Amino acid sequence: MATAHVGGYRPGLVDLKTGQISREIFVNEDIYAEEQERVFARAWLYVGHESQVPNPGDFFVSGMGEESVILTRDRAGQVRVFLNSCRHRGMKVCRYDEGNTTVFTCPYHGWSYGTDGRLVGVPYFREAYHSQLDRLQWGLVEVAQTCVHKGTVWATWDKDAPPFLEYLGDFARYLDQMFDSWDGSDGGTEILGGVQKWLVPSNWKFPAENFSGDSYHNISHRSVDMVGAGPSGSGRRDMPELNLARKLHIAIPDRGHQTTAYLLPREVEVPAGYQHSPVVSDYFKKCEEARRQQRGDWGRLITLVGEVFPSMAFLARQPRTIAVWHPRGPHQTEVWRWFLVDKNAPQDVKNFLRDYYIRYSGPAGMTEQDDMENWGYAHKASRGTIARRYSYSYEQGMGTEVDNYEWEGFSLPGSVTDLTQAKSSEHNLRNLYRRWAEFMEASDWDELASWRRAQRAAAE
Amino acid sequence: MSDPINVRTLPPGTRIVTADGAVAEIVSNPADGVWLFARYVESPSDPALVGQEDMIFAQDVVEVRPT
Amino acid sequence: MSDRDDRFVEMLLTHEIAQFLYREAELLDERRYEAWLALLSDDIRYWMPMRRNVKFGEESREFTREITDINWFDEGKETLTRRVRQIETGIHWAEEPVSRIAHLVTNVQLIEAMPSAAEAREVSVKCRFLIYRNRVETETDILVGKREDLLRRDGDDWKIARRKIILDQNVLLSKNLTFFF
Repeated sequence: MATAHVGGYRPGLVDLKTGQISREIFVNEDIYAEEQERVFARAWLYVGHESQVPNPGDFFVSGMGEESVILTRDRAGQVRVFLNSCRHRGMKVCRYDEGNTTVFTCPYHGWSYGTDGRLVGVPYFREAYHSQLDRLQWGLVEVAQTCVHKGTVWATWDKDAPPFLEYLGDFARYLDQMFDSWDGSDGGTEILGGVQKWLVPSNWKFPAENFSGDSYHNISHRSVDMVGAGPSGSGRRDMPELNLARKLHIAIPDRGHQTTAYLLPREVEVPAGYQHSPVVSDYFKKCEEARRQQRGDWGRLITLVGEVFPSMAFLARQPRTIAVWHPRGPHQTEVWRWFLVDKNAPQDVKNFLRDYYIRYSGPAGMTEQDDMENWGYAHKASRGTIARRYSYSYEQGMGTEVDNYEWEGFSLPGSVTDLTQAKSSEHNLRNLYRRWAEFMEASDWDELASWRRAQRAAAE
Repeated sequence: MSDPINVRTLPPGTRIVTADGAVAEIVSNPADGVWLFARYVESPSDPALVGQEDMIFAQDVVEVRPT
Repeated sequence: MSDRDDRFVEMLLTHEIAQFLYREAELLDERRYEAWLALLSDDIRYWMPMRRNVKFGEESREFTREITDINWFDEGKETLTRRVRQIETGIHWAEEPVSRIAHLVTNVQLIEAMPSAAEAREVSVKCRFLIYRNRVETETDILVGKREDLLRRDGDDWKIARRKIILDQNVLLSKNLTFFF
């Protein structure tokens, strides 16, 4: 399908009937500007982890789309998220990455804000403003809504966005594995010190679709599979027990979230992994058993990579990480990556995992390096006037997904593709772009929350 | 005009003199180099301020009293 | 020995160490990875922390911690060897086609010789580096920073027993770190 030059977004650029998506949505500057407004200013975005701000006054400077934001815990112990920009003339009120403070003071003219965002200090308030400035109106801009979910902090600029758990919908169950301890106990994960931040020369949707469940790109990681960066130090990055499992792609159609997962058989005992380290092997085996005990069928599900719409990606298994794709113009993305471990895991296990995480992920990660090469040059080669006339193909596995997928008596919510035989499908990717197009087209959250209309219709 | 004073490192308890002649004792220092939280001890121009706590702007601090 | 002799011995050692570091850089730039690996001691620690913007007076939190935190690199010879092997597969796309790399090593300072400059079995040495990487057509990275090395005497030569790499960046401006510092 060839598309003529377009000024900005228009319906049809994401054509899911034919499984074709225009290159314009990746490289077009007008579309980029529109998506900042329509996607990033309306969706729930991942901001950070509660364990990064344990005490009142603690702060961590994060990002939401193009904006710099301050995640802080105010004196009352409340987690707050503010735009990192002075109300007087816009200067960043915090240029430290993290720390503890009582005030955020603008170095330009000296306006100063409390950790609750209130404007507390105005130089020459009596003299220059004649005590006339309404300080209550000039506090730091705060997000419209904040939610702390199992230690993770989320926020949105849109007051009309549904509450975060409703935004997740059925996806919340699949995310549990990311944020719960490996043994299945609630929450229980913590962030390792240090957030990786680096620039990638591609549109943010390249990594977003990769983490939505692009199993087709495994070939690009063949070099690391050969030399081995796996948790056992050699061989494939995956674990052998997964050969026994069903390989699934799971998408939540009306929400735009998707993940890949393994569903282990009910009766087969899981062989111990991480054989090179008895302590680690023992820890995971015990956790695995406890999780199955506690979670029943859900304990057999092992979530792998996934994406919470639009820009938060996760890897729930090892390396257990959260990534956020911060757009930096249509042609560049700033990636931030956090790494998680079970809070109560023995130190040896934490060390072992940390070691593996660094080896696998991020700019020095032997696996992720090849991804960035592909995203960068795919993007670059799509920018030309001729190149952008030709859509990308997302036709793989169209129509093979099922609702109410069931295996061994366990039924999974969402729209599921069983890839055990098919090996790969682009169902999850289509799900991402379907939702993206809905955000680009919908005028408000009433339209975006289609499930509410369905519920209302059912009630009538 | 006195030399500019770096208020960033002044510890709580320090007494400072402001441009209009008031004396205040630092209650806490946010260490931003711009503001001090202080309580007025003397305030010849506005005696009602004595005992009150206020944020004092660095440019208003003209003297640090030796302790 | 006279003071003058001591300084002469130290000068010769500094020269020897600097020549060693230049030779190492040469091996990397010529992509002679096997020979480069042979310069690393079996127990090498290769550590490159990440850098935070912190308030004046809080410098202790500027660097992520070795062994404890997430770092850009924090590994030993086994992983470094795997990285070389990965490049040598010829299908490690981030380095295929291979990058053109030049290591500039400068400001070489002998910090300590143990037990003495005359009979040095271990030396700690600091230097600055500038790594220029150019790949494919126009993609170019320039990475500048400091290195703190611990070298160990090995017969007539030296082995690198520890390398701390201090990159002078916060957000990494390169898309990947597929090369060695």
